[in-house]
Amino acid sequence: MFSVIVYGRNDSHGYNLHKRAAISFNAIAEVMSDPDDEILFVDYNTPDDHPTFPEAIQDTLTDKAKQVLRIFRVRPEQHVHLKSKTHLVALESQSRNIALRRSNPRNRWILYTNTDMLLVPRREGESLSMIFGDLPDGFYQIPRFELPEMLWEAAFDRRDPAGNLTKLRDWAVRFHLNQVVHNFMPMKYDALGDFQAALREDMFTIHGFDEDMLLGWHCDSNLAARLALYRGRVDTLIDKVFGYHCDHTRVAAVNNKGRLTKMNDQDRFIWDVSSPYLPSQADTWGWPDVQIEEIRLDRDTSYERFVAGLSAAMEPATEPYRSTNLDWHLYSDLTYDLHHTLPFVCDQVLTYPRSTAVMLVASRAELVSSFTKAWSAMGFTGSVLIPSECKGLPEAHPSIKTGAFSDLVGMADLFIFEFGLASQTQRETVRLGRSASPSDTKSLNTVARLFALAASIEPETRPKGRRLPRRFIGVNVIYNKFWPLFTDHIVANINPFCSQVLAGIPRRDASLKGKVLRFRGRIGV
Amino acid sequence: MPLYQRALDLEPMFDEALEGLGQALDVLGYIELAAEKYAAARRIRAETRLGAPDRHFVLRQRGHFRAEVLAYDNVIWSLKKNTLPYIARGNAFLASGQPDAALANYNQALRLKRDLPAVAALKGEALSILGRYSEAVESLSVAVEARPNDAEALGGRAIARLGLGLLGEANTDWRRQFELLQGRAAACACVALRMADWALALPELDRALEKEPHDPYWHLYRLTARRRLEMPADLADLPSIGGWPGALLALHAGRITPDEILKRADTDDRHAEAIFQLGVLAFDRDRKVAEAYWQELVERFPPSLIEHATARNELARRPS
Repeated sequence: MFSVIVYGRNDSHGYNLHKRAAISFNAIAEVMSDPDDEILFVDYNTPDDHPTFPEAIQDTLTDKAKQVLRIFRVRPEQHVHLKSKTHLVALESQSRNIALRRSNPRNRWILYTNTDMLLVPRREGESLSMIFGDLPDGFYQIPRFELPEMLWEAAFDRRDPAGNLTKLRDWAVRFHLNQVVHNFMPMKYDALGDFQAALREDMFTIHGFDEDMLLGWHCDSNLAARLALYRGRVDTLIDKVFGYHCDHTRVAAVNNKGRLTKMNDQDRFIWDVSSPYLPSQADTWGWPDVQIEEIRLDRDTSYERFVAGLSAAMEPATEPYRSTNLDWHLYSDLTYDLHHTLPFVCDQVLTYPRSTAVMLVASRAELVSSFTKAWSAMGFTGSVLIPSECKGLPEAHPSIKTGAFSDLVGMADLFIFEFGLASQTQRETVRLGRSASPSDTKSLNTVARLFALAASIEPETRPKGRRLPRRFIGVNVIYNKFWPLFTDHIVANINPFCSQVLAGIPRRDASLKGKVLRFRGRIGV
Repeated sequence: MPLYQRALDLEPMFDEALEGLGQALDVLGYIELAAEKYAAARRIRAETRLGAPDRHFVLRQRGHFRAEVLAYDNVIWSLKKNTLPYIARGNAFLASGQPDAALANYNQALRLKRDLPAVAALKGEALSILGRYSEAVESLSVAVEARPNDAEALGGRAIARLGLGLLGEANTDWRRQFELLQGRAAACACVALRMADWALALPELDRALEKEPHDPYWHLYRLTARRRLEMPADLADLPSIGGWPGALLALHAGRITPDEILKRADTDDRHAEAIFQLGVLAFDRDRKVAEAYWQELVERFPPSLIEHATARNELARRPS
């Protein structure tokens, strides 16, 4: 019957976002009763190494919310062409249009709202699906009622949407919450963007939201102006449903700088709108030709993929724990526990697109075979690229593609460099002061040389069309002699030794030191 | 509340008054009664037949827009130099059958901002309704030149050109409009009907019926197209439709007489539809009788009607 369209990213947009969003997702799902109903969340520009926002809060969502939620992940690389035109990190018009293009065509209605709204049918027992089912064609809005932060934060249970809606019905009367704020036409009400219901067919006809609106604010008013022209009136659903907004003014959101807030031009996008149509974006709105990843929380989840990957790659531990040691005198000992490390390596890659091609430059054959098994079992379809300069590594797995480093580097979306001892076996106790053998040293020198080269030439070797720097993951680069090398070239956080892994993008140090470092990397010194 | 009630006594189908009354009742706590009023207003809107789907979006709107006019009056009090309020108010007038008031608002918008092809198209539509076809063609041509793919402006210009007697030019615009509307079956069907291109219309009508199987006009026009293409009438699959245009379907099925259909045609538009269909039914028997009906239609009814354009094209094909 209807598709709800919301958007956001895995960041901290305003106060206690996680709770607001969980309350909202669960409450909206609670008032859906048609099997075609869906909540479309566009996760816009979350960094590649983070999960999407709904994945990050999935444990606080109800089963029903997980069933109706479809997440469309827009990668930073897909946003980068707009980066110079906006100060914002998430774009409303683009997000809403991407969802609209991919919404269920069986649904007659699209409902635009935000992830801090609770929609309460006035007649108990009635669902929003039932309300939309009886509604004649039109463009509908409702007033937004504010809910003080204390109430939703202190009294709502995220996973009890029915209880929350009951509380709201009580509070509305007891605390005089229901104040309708009328506004100029065509807006009709204040804060209109929290409930705008339009026919899906109308939204396609008028070419979606205006994607020239890149500076934030007023996208809802622009839509109201255009739909008011198209439909001739702005209808109300105030007799059917009340909408409550979880107020979040304790901390201003990043796009709210008081009087200094940058925003879209009101005259251009509201008061001088002359047509509902946007012919200039008729064929491009919602990025119809762009492959947008879809993620579900009720099937094939990240956790399930992670478990599948690791289960394919290793057996459970047979001892209660194993030990390592970060004493400084063990600085040159490059032994590490591969089975303990592999989960942290997989954790670094899991959030990347499944089509990602990863270059794996390693010393230990066992890491390559284990990682490749895990990679494949985690559902990645891209290749594991292994440079032929690295000797003695497995090549048989169907995911593995070998070739000269110079041929493969331009295909890689992601890099993993492993600094271990080729001669180490999994059964060995680690960090007891073991030295590298000559063959270990030879392998390590190759890994180090290719690492410095890859980091130094990363900008000019990116796959065609790619604009953002690629991420480098270092395995066994904490508190050992390859730590300085890795962090000289890569901007990485300080991570606990136990994780064995550092990651980041190549350092773009414009100083003489940086230039010398990159020059040495290029020529293999 | 008494004022809304009085308005409703005068005009029971006044949807905006019903909604206003509902709002007043709701605020006073009569929630169930309010819900009834809102529901009644929505029922009226749902039952109102919209304008032809190939026309400008404003001309597809139907009903009362008094509340919109008043709302934009208020906006214009505060924002005199922006165009949207004038355009929206003009649209409300145009949709409620007041083209002269609409024209004044469009002119004001164009005084504020000259380069507005969308408003030039609206102005052209208002002029066309006022019968000022020459000015209408001029204004719609401004819109078409600025946006050659504006299907609505092309359709509007075709009608204005028809008003000037320029059937060939009108058909040129409709052919282009038909190309631009590909994928929108109902709109395409209407354009093909205006051109009296029955072979082009029939598959579009079939598609329109698939999407809106209960729309009586798609049944009627499909029946008409099949007759004009000398195909079997396919009367068995017709739905049972009371009122109008069910009577026209009954006419095709031979269940009512020509005199009876003319009696039942209680509005100008219905009268035009009845005359047109009488011509269609007469065509096989006596071409001259059919042409007499269609001639009457083009002389008495405006070129914006689908039947008017169809009749003009049929008459133009008369053997010399």
